[in-house]
Amino acid sequence: MSPGTVSRRLPLVWLALHRRRRMLLSLLLGMVVFETLIVVIATTVPPTELFGARRTPPGAFKAFSGSNSDVSIASYPGLLGAGLTHPFWIALQLTVIGALGAAAVAADVESGTIELLMTRPLSRRRLLAERAGALIAASVLLNVAATLTVALGVAFSPKLRDAVPEGGVFTAGLLGCAFAFCLTGPVLAVSALSRRRAHVIGAAVALGAVGFALNFVALAWSPAEPLRYLSPFHYYAPGDVLAHGGVPWAALGVLLGVGLLGLLAAFRLLERRDLAI
Amino acid sequence: MPGNATAPVIELTALTKRYGATVGIEDLDVTVGAGEVFGLLGPNGAGKTTTLRCLVGLLSPSDGRVRVLGLDPVADHRRLAPALGYLPGELRLYPELTGQQTLDLLAALQGAPVPRQRELCERLKLSPADLARPVGEYSRGMKQKLGLVQSLQHRPAVVVLDEPSEGLDPLVQETFFELLAEETAAGRTVLLSSHVLPEVQRTCGRVAIVRRGRLVTVRSVAELRQARARRVRLVFADGQGARPLGAAERWSPRWDGRRVELLVPPDEVVPAVRSLLAELPVADLTVEEAGLDEAFLDLYRSTDREAVEGEEAR
Repeated sequence: MSPGTVSRRLPLVWLALHRRRRMLLSLLLGMVVFETLIVVIATTVPPTELFGARRTPPGAFKAFSGSNSDVSIASYPGLLGAGLTHPFWIALQLTVIGALGAAAVAADVESGTIELLMTRPLSRRRLLAERAGALIAASVLLNVAATLTVALGVAFSPKLRDAVPEGGVFTAGLLGCAFAFCLTGPVLAVSALSRRRAHVIGAAVALGAVGFALNFVALAWSPAEPLRYLSPFHYYAPGDVLAHGGVPWAALGVLLGVGLLGLLAAFRLLERRDLAI
Repeated sequence: MPGNATAPVIELTALTKRYGATVGIEDLDVTVGAGEVFGLLGPNGAGKTTTLRCLVGLLSPSDGRVRVLGLDPVADHRRLAPALGYLPGELRLYPELTGQQTLDLLAALQGAPVPRQRELCERLKLSPADLARPVGEYSRGMKQKLGLVQSLQHRPAVVVLDEPSEGLDPLVQETFFELLAEETAAGRTVLLSSHVLPEVQRTCGRVAIVRRGRLVTVRSVAELRQARARRVRLVFADGQGARPLGAAERWSPRWDGRRVELLVPPDEVVPAVRSLLAELPVADLTVEEAGLDEAFLDLYRSTDREAVEGEEAR
C-alpha cells in the first residue's frame, strides 16, 4: 500500500497519521538529533565539569535528571536522564499528544468534518479507538526513537556502558511510553468532551508544564513535598532507572492506571455527547 | 434493508431540540413516505439543519421521537447508517486529502461497494485530474460536487441533503435535478432542506415550511401554488405617491412612485379590488398570480400576524 492509499481496515488511523506525517517525521528527527547531542555531550565533557568543579547542583535539579532519589544531574545516568526529561523532550511529547489528541474528536467537531465521518456505519467507540491507536503509535515511535538513540550511544561509549546498567535504557524508554500514555488518557477525555482543539492542546500543555513545575517545587521546597505525588514526573524517573536498573513496577502501574482511567472516561463522555455544534 | 417497507420512511414526532435556553426546533411533526422527495423550507436559522442532524443521528433530540426506516438514528446508528446518504449544509473536508482520497476514505468508512462513484464523478464533471488535486485547492462548487458524489455513491435508500445546490453552476444544477429524479424513480426517499424556492418547486412533491424552530405548514407544492397570493398592481390617477391604504395596508404595499403592489390572498381579491376602486383614484389595475416565493412569504406574514394578534389578545 502506498502512503497515499487509504487503508480500508483502519481508515481513521491512516487519516490521523497521513495528515500529520510531516510533523511526525520532523518530531522524530528532532528527538534523534537532541538525544544524539546529549550522548555526545555526556561522552566528551565529564558531567562533574558541566556544573563547575567541586560544585554540587541543588537538590531540586534532580527534577531535571529524572530522579526521585540520589541521582545527580552531574553524573552519567543523571545527564542521560536529563535528556529524557528535558523541556525539549517534554515539548516533543506534548506536541504529539496535543495534536493527535485534539484530532481524536474535538478538531473534527470544531471544523465540521465529524458530520461526514459519523453519518457512516461507524460507532463512536471505533472512532475513539482508532484515533487513540494513532496517538499511542506516534507516542511509542517517538519514545522508541529516543531510546534507540540513547541505547546506541551507551553501546558505543565504554564510559556510559560502565555507568548505566544493562537494560536500563530500555526500561527508561518503557517508562517514557507509560508517561506519554498517562497524559494521553486525560487529553483524549478532554477531546471527547470539547468542541475546540485549543481546549485539548491547552489541557496537554497544562498537564505537562504544571506537572513538571509541581515536581520541581516539591523537590525544592520541603513544605510542598506531598504535592509531588500529584505530578506524573514523580512517577517518571528515567534517571533512577539509568543509575540503578530494575523496573519500577509501582510507578509504571500509576502512569498506566491514570492513562487508562482517562481513556475510559473518554469513551464514556463520547457516547453521551452531541457530535455537531 | 432495515425497517418495514410499508411504514413511512421518515417519522418525526413532536421533535424538539434545545441548546441550553435556545430552541433549535420545537414540536416538529413530519412524515415522509417511500420514494418521496420532501423539502424542508425556511430561512437561515429556522431549524432545518438541526432537524437534519437529528435525522442522521448527529444530535439527540431533547424531546419527541425520530424514526428513519423504523430505526432510532442515535440508538440504532450502525444499523441505519448503511442505508443513509448525507450531504451536510456546510460541507467541510480535509484540505490535505485529494478528492479521490476523500471519496475512498468515506467509502472505506461506509464499508460498502461504491458502484456509482465513477459515473457520478463523470456526470458532475469531476475529472480524474480534479480528483488528483488536494481538496484545499477546490472551489466551493467543486467541493459541493464531491459532497454530492459521496452522498450518493453507495446507492443509499434514504438521501438527506442540506442545501444541496449551493455553489453549483446552472449546468451542474441541471444534472443534480436529473439525479434526484432518478433517485425517486428508483424508489429512494430524498429529504432536502433549502431556502432556494425554485429548487424546491422543481424537485419536491411536498414541503414543510419551518420558521423560528416551529412548523408553519406541510403542503404539497401543487397546493402551495393554488393557495399562493395574487399580485395586485395599481396606478393612481392623481399623480401622488405613497398614501394610507386603510384596510389594504395589511397586504404589505410596496410603493414605486404612483404605483403600488399588493399581495392579496386569493379569496380576498374580489372584495379588495372593489374596495380599492371605490375609495381611491385608480387609473390602472392588474391582477396576476404570484410565484411560489410570494406564497412562502405570504405564509410567513400570516404566521407573523397570528403571533402579533396572539400577543395582543394576551
